[in-house]
Amino acid sequence: MTQLYGYVGKIARINLTDQTVSIIPTTKYVPKYIGGRSIANRIFWEEVGPGVKAFDPENKIIYMTGPTTGTGIPTGGRTVFTCISPNSYPEQYAWSGIGGDFGAEVKFAGFDGFIIEGKAAEPTYLFIEDGEIKFLSARNLWGKLVHATQSKLEEIHGKDVKSVVIGPAGENLVRNASVTTSNDNVAAKAGLGAVFGSKNLKAITVRGTGVVVPANIPKVLELRKKMSDPSMAPRPVVHETHHGIPGIEKPVPGGWKRAQVACSYGCNQHCMCLMLDMKSAFGEERVNHVEKCVSIVAFGFEEDVPYGGPGGPGGIFQTEQNHYPACKLLSREVDPPDPSDPYLELEITPGPGDILNFWKHDFDKGSVINDLCNEYGLDKWDVLIWLLPWLAMGKKEGVFDDIDFGMEIDVESEEFVKYLLDMIVYRKGYYGNLLAEGMARAIRTLGKEKFGDTIYHGRYSRQINKRLDLPISLESAWGHCVHWQGRGFEASIAKPAWVATNLHQMTSTRDTQTVQHHHDTFEHYLELKDDPCRSPLTAQAVIMGENKAELKDSLTSCDWQSPNLFWTDMEAQMFEAATGIPMTEEELNNAAERSRLLFRAIIIRNHGRTREMEVNAIFPIMQYPDPWGETVTWEEWNDLVDLYYEQRGWDKKTGWPTRETYEKYGLKDVADELEAIGKLPSSK
Amino acid sequence: MQSPPEVSFCAGCRACEIVCSLLHDGVVGPYYKRIFVDKGTRSMVSTVYSCQHCADHSCYLACPRKDQAMCLDENGIVYIQEEYCNGCKRCVKACVFDPPRINYVQSKDKSKRKAKKCDLCRNRPEGPACIEFCQVSCLSLSDQG
Repeated sequence: MTQLYGYVGKIARINLTDQTVSIIPTTKYVPKYIGGRSIANRIFWEEVGPGVKAFDPENKIIYMTGPTTGTGIPTGGRTVFTCISPNSYPEQYAWSGIGGDFGAEVKFAGFDGFIIEGKAAEPTYLFIEDGEIKFLSARNLWGKLVHATQSKLEEIHGKDVKSVVIGPAGENLVRNASVTTSNDNVAAKAGLGAVFGSKNLKAITVRGTGVVVPANIPKVLELRKKMSDPSMAPRPVVHETHHGIPGIEKPVPGGWKRAQVACSYGCNQHCMCLMLDMKSAFGEERVNHVEKCVSIVAFGFEEDVPYGGPGGPGGIFQTEQNHYPACKLLSREVDPPDPSDPYLELEITPGPGDILNFWKHDFDKGSVINDLCNEYGLDKWDVLIWLLPWLAMGKKEGVFDDIDFGMEIDVESEEFVKYLLDMIVYRKGYYGNLLAEGMARAIRTLGKEKFGDTIYHGRYSRQINKRLDLPISLESAWGHCVHWQGRGFEASIAKPAWVATNLHQMTSTRDTQTVQHHHDTFEHYLELKDDPCRSPLTAQAVIMGENKAELKDSLTSCDWQSPNLFWTDMEAQMFEAATGIPMTEEELNNAAERSRLLFRAIIIRNHGRTREMEVNAIFPIMQYPDPWGETVTWEEWNDLVDLYYEQRGWDKKTGWPTRETYEKYGLKDVADELEAIGKLPSSK
Repeated sequence: MQSPPEVSFCAGCRACEIVCSLLHDGVVGPYYKRIFVDKGTRSMVSTVYSCQHCADHSCYLACPRKDQAMCLDENGIVYIQEEYCNGCKRCVKACVFDPPRINYVQSKDKSKRKAKKCDLCRNRPEGPACIEFCQVSCLSLSDQG
């Protein structure tokens, strides 16, 4: 057998029902499907047909590392899960990325990934050690919080094991439950924790003593120093006097201690903020927890993030002189703007975000909310951007006057938040059970017109000094809430950017903005800004972002470092350094297109996705004004969708890719199957 | 040695472990690192354990093949010539630190059992790779043995 670089060669099929394991050689799928999400998409296409529901034993959890995982190439430590997501509305195939050391350990144990199928007869966890997979009873783990589960597994198997676990939320099939590593990294967006719970799977614990062999070590070392230009400078623990979104921080009595840590094995950045000695939700002992982006609003949510201009925040439209990865923003290492940038004044035009008045700053309460989400294993985004703002807005608008939760609704109260999340996680009473079904389902059960679409009158734009409408439910599409979409939270981006992010969201099944924040060049911005829905450049940038996202979850890589618009073959260099397989930027982009097409084919075949369905899913949220009072018309939006489908090679009427497009990327078999079920567009 | 947190806080990225095994053995794996990051599961605070290059070098003295397998260079650095190491593990047991600062390749194949010990990258002009690639510069050399 020839030496395999990057990959370790085996994918394990793990059947929880009959406790059997079989092995698939990774070479069945690579290099055509790269790794990570790309392989998962192919396996899912082949193995899970229409009609399977999220909690059915027939649903499969596919976990994949990438060829860079464990090689030392920065960001390669991130890995991906896919499954039918219970948190999507309706249930659909989705993915969720995760960092930590787990992925590298899986490769040291001899596996590139797993296909987990069936359902265990009783609470079970998998113990994987150097090629051997054991099904062990989780009776003594079931019911434990996330960190207690991690600690117990280390107590049983030794401190050097790496685990992903669920908390009580996953056990109780709360639809937005997460899966958590030992360093508070989570796969949260797909409700994967609930799928673990539905399979009676509490955890996967791994120990590996094998090796990962990258093909080109000098290149790996070069990438370590080049990717995102790591600062290579001391980062001491800092005593902070304030906390909050940069620009609108609030004082913290007594201050707090901040450190920066890396999220995944071998990353060369440290974008996660480690908050030290914080208040716990579960006892007197102070705890440390990490904050990346959304958890910052747990501490106070009175106003939205400031507007930074077309170039910021996070660098949406970038120039060669002024662009930086988002990880730099989070680790606070952004250099001052380069004055040689000819567009600097246009690019950075600071302004305040909307006044929202959801809840006041309360440092200890914020820590408690984050700790509750961490320990229960809940998606913080859903809690902080959807559930709690919904309660804050709805109460002010009187929509909950007839609702009795057993405690007065008060999102300013730490006790209420603890009571609320306990009620949901343990499905206590009618409302606990209802909200455990996720916001999209709960609101529809209660009645969307009143409980979703009621207008909140507390939003005030400081861009145009005017009160603006906002619905009490910040739903965007597919059972997910807004994220850099021009209204709600992180709304402070103008129309040329938010039409793009909404287009990203339209073709997805879950929140896209964790892995494909929108980026384009500032030169393009100048061309498209006056009519972004009629510019092919908007569609082109969305396609680039979507394809880069496929690569990020396939190689693997990370949204906080990629894409680099001015080093566009970075991912190809990463792949080649890991595997030794020659790869051009164009070839890798074709692999990304292939992965994207498989995802599209799955949601068409399994979930009936059409143009009509996805346009209707995303359009409503854009009817609420952005901070400048802007919306999008039906005609504008459909013109943009036309441009996007056309560039993708998808039929404009149905939104289905054509046979020619499938075949162009080596997916004739997929086209044949779709044609047989009438889901290939007519060639006429 | 690891800096105190008020100077630089270890990010827990394991770059030191990775570049160590890559440059010495061409692989990444837990048995091949000669520096160890112990990451607290609940605390997420990382402690780096590395060879202290003791002046009395008990590992060297314990080696039954000293000056062949475990050698001492002119600068007092104890290093291993692996072709002579028989994997007896005496150096690991002789290490005065807990946890021991010498790694060990466990294998069913006795010929593959080898000790792995920090040699301060003695043949590398740039010096220790763990220090060079530490993104938060929390590792440094100290003459306080």
